[in-house]
Amino acid sequence: MRRTTLGLIAVFALIAAACVAFGAYFSYVTLLNAHRSVVEARFGIAAQRVVDVAEQAASLGIALPAQQALTGMLEREARIEQAIRSLDLTDEHGIVLFSSDPARIGRDTAHDDGRDLARPVRNDIGEPIGRVVLRYDPKVLANGAAALGDDLERIALPTLLWAGAATLVIGLLLAAALRRAVRRAAEPRLWPPAARAALASVEAAHRALSERAGPVGAAAGVRRPGGEP
Amino acid sequence: MIGLRGGISIAIVLILCSALAVIGWGAERAAQRTIAPEILAKANTVGRAAADLVLRASSIGVPFDRLVGVQGYFDDLRAANTEFAEISLVSAGGAELARSGNADKARDPPVARVPINDAGGRRLGEVVIVVDPSVVSAQVGAVLVDVAFIGVVALLVALELVALVVGARGLESLVAVERRLRALKRGTLARQDGGLGAAENLVSPIDRHMQVLASRHDRLRAEAEARGDDATLERLREIAARTGLGQAQSAGSEAAMAVRPALFLFMLAEELTRPFLPRFAQSLGGFGGMSPDLAASLPIVAFMAVVALCQVPFAGLSERLGRRPGFIGGALLAAAGYALSAVSTHYGVFVGARIATAVGYALVFVSAQGHVVDLSSGAARSAALAVFVRAIMVASLCGPPIGGVIADRLGASVAFGVSGGLALLALLVARLTLPAAAAHRPGSDGAVLSNLKAAAGAPGLMSLLFGCAFPAKFLFAALCFLLVPLELQREGYSSAAIGRFQMIYPVIMVLGVPFFAALADRFDARSAFVVTGGVVAGLGAMAVPFGPPVALIVVALVALGWGQAMSIASQSALVADTAAALGGGRAAGALGLFRLVERSGNAAGPASAGVLLSSIGFASATGLLGAVAVAGAVLFALSGRKVFADQSRRHASAAASEGSSA
Repeated sequence: MRRTTLGLIAVFALIAAACVAFGAYFSYVTLLNAHRSVVEARFGIAAQRVVDVAEQAASLGIALPAQQALTGMLEREARIEQAIRSLDLTDEHGIVLFSSDPARIGRDTAHDDGRDLARPVRNDIGEPIGRVVLRYDPKVLANGAAALGDDLERIALPTLLWAGAATLVIGLLLAAALRRAVRRAAEPRLWPPAARAALASVEAAHRALSERAGPVGAAAGVRRPGGEP
Repeated sequence: MIGLRGGISIAIVLILCSALAVIGWGAERAAQRTIAPEILAKANTVGRAAADLVLRASSIGVPFDRLVGVQGYFDDLRAANTEFAEISLVSAGGAELARSGNADKARDPPVARVPINDAGGRRLGEVVIVVDPSVVSAQVGAVLVDVAFIGVVALLVALELVALVVGARGLESLVAVERRLRALKRGTLARQDGGLGAAENLVSPIDRHMQVLASRHDRLRAEAEARGDDATLERLREIAARTGLGQAQSAGSEAAMAVRPALFLFMLAEELTRPFLPRFAQSLGGFGGMSPDLAASLPIVAFMAVVALCQVPFAGLSERLGRRPGFIGGALLAAAGYALSAVSTHYGVFVGARIATAVGYALVFVSAQGHVVDLSSGAARSAALAVFVRAIMVASLCGPPIGGVIADRLGASVAFGVSGGLALLALLVARLTLPAAAAHRPGSDGAVLSNLKAAAGAPGLMSLLFGCAFPAKFLFAALCFLLVPLELQREGYSSAAIGRFQMIYPVIMVLGVPFFAALADRFDARSAFVVTGGVVAGLGAMAVPFGPPVALIVVALVALGWGQAMSIASQSALVADTAAALGGGRAAGALGLFRLVERSGNAAGPASAGVLLSSIGFASATGLLGAVAVAGAVLFALSGRKVFADQSRRHASAAASEGSSA
């Protein structure tokens, strides 16, 4: 019984610690996603400006491959933010038409690795005719992730240990209370009030009935109140 | 008397609440330290772009202080970036040349200042962007709401794990001790049946006292019977009734509830897949010429249809196999289905894997429900069924956000693998916790076809089923399993975020069902609750075409949860009334028909949604499905409600009736 109780308390302490770890990890992931959205919103501004210009030109009848003036704009927008690695205008198949990085012209963006965000370029009837693809330095996200991880780790580790330890302490206190209650339950005089009252009423009724039955009933062995049954 | 198990469960809740509050506080600080600077960095980027534009105008000879259209440009920038309270162009001398917006400087808001220098390095002025601190707080607050959701999930998972541990067979000694102490606390002097485990030494003094009292009681009764002393016999009966003396108490309902942890783990496995399954199905391409929306819906429809069709025949199969073998077989099949889903690269294979999972799911569900029904009776059955439903609801609450995070971080295939692992874990837990030979009753009333047919003729039943039960599940499955995940995916939400949206419905259900069930009982107005619930759920979906999709998706999910919480328990109670009135096999038929119609709604919802989504788009499709729910509720109000109102005198409690509608 002692082993069962201690084992149970240990398992509960582990559950408490594991659930704090679970909560901390999922909070970290939530913060990470929020951080990524803010970062991408920042880079998305440059991409959207290029989209607006390309769509305006397209609505004037200039097809994307003919919008050569965009190269200057792509270079300018990419210069504004150091973390931007390249800013490309692609056709509908993802092939780079113009780029802030001349080496990328003609490449298929499907083969890109690393972080990028894309905004569709649409014609007047809303059909996609190309995309603006912005590749940015993954360190921007990695730095944020590391900072978030450090912050949460500093909080989560002591909290996790505290949760486990608090569960252990409370479990041990409850186990001690249980042992005390079991010891008291072996002695009817120490039973809880409701049980003592029930026992007293049973004793009294049994005694009365046994006295009414005479010598036969006395053989049932009814004792005085408060004694062993 | 709380006991060690109860006490430590409460302690874990309190400890976890405080620990998760600390984590939330840490998350808030971390968000302030990382997200707020990023918003300022964004302001700097916008400022640099604006400064670049001004500098170009200046470089072609436009005097810096005579630029035109600057305010309009700043207005456009602010319209596109709501976090900027004010954007202004200030000359080197400090004169404000253009301004959009009016920030409250008293709040010391974050400010981005981007200098404008000409080619010679001479300072012309600067672009000043004032960030609205309330928008920053709102963004951090939104993150904290997400973290709070995570806290709720962590807490619920902890409670289910605690339930798993306290239900373990190794704890029978502790259970024996606690049951005796609890009985004494209540003033009960009954004998406690059940295994003692290692606690025999501890509890034998208590049992000896009870045994001595009971023996004496029996002797007195035997003597009174021999004498024909009715007064004494009556007095002894009264004592026994009051104190439980001479009676034996068993842990019957605990045995029925032993299925809870295994069921929770199994249901969690399926719920993990909700946020990413439509996207995963789309990524496999569908059958030739199939639209992406149909490709997303077909695996869901196949799953729901198979579950609906297997429900009735599997009731008999589970009885013949036994509950534990039924559960284990179903979990094994489902695990194989998840594993196959994880490695599927072909759409047809994936649909096949989902069908295999559905067959396993149906067998597990029916076996678990059968186990509860077999090992409980009367009020204990209602309590055991409520625990059964709670395990399913908690799984549906915890699964989507966890599955979404796993899919985002590790990919959908790994998430399917985790589901397979959970199904196997459920199998193992069922093997350890369910009795080897469950007390099944071969040949008991099954909802066979003839009974279904007979039940279909019950007055008002079909209008309830097709007016309310079918549209409720139809709308629920269409919205929660297909339309919402796909639309949020289109809006750029991650699987983790989609999972948190999918929590809205079960959260409201968990909180609302007991509340509305009690209200329906109290006001004796279950038909009215069914109708109102259907209308509320439908109106929420009908609102979607009239505004920004994401905000109205939340409205639709809240209305769906609210409406279903109002109607679902009352629906079950009305069907239970009808079943009780029919009696015998037709009663089982009525309940079987109810589940069959509900599950058909689950299958038809995503199928219709897939077709409508391809043809009329998300908003119109959702509105139309909402209209179906409203029309169904009105149909029931007009045709079937009166029948149930007439039956209201012999009804069962709505609060206790909702057995397996999850």
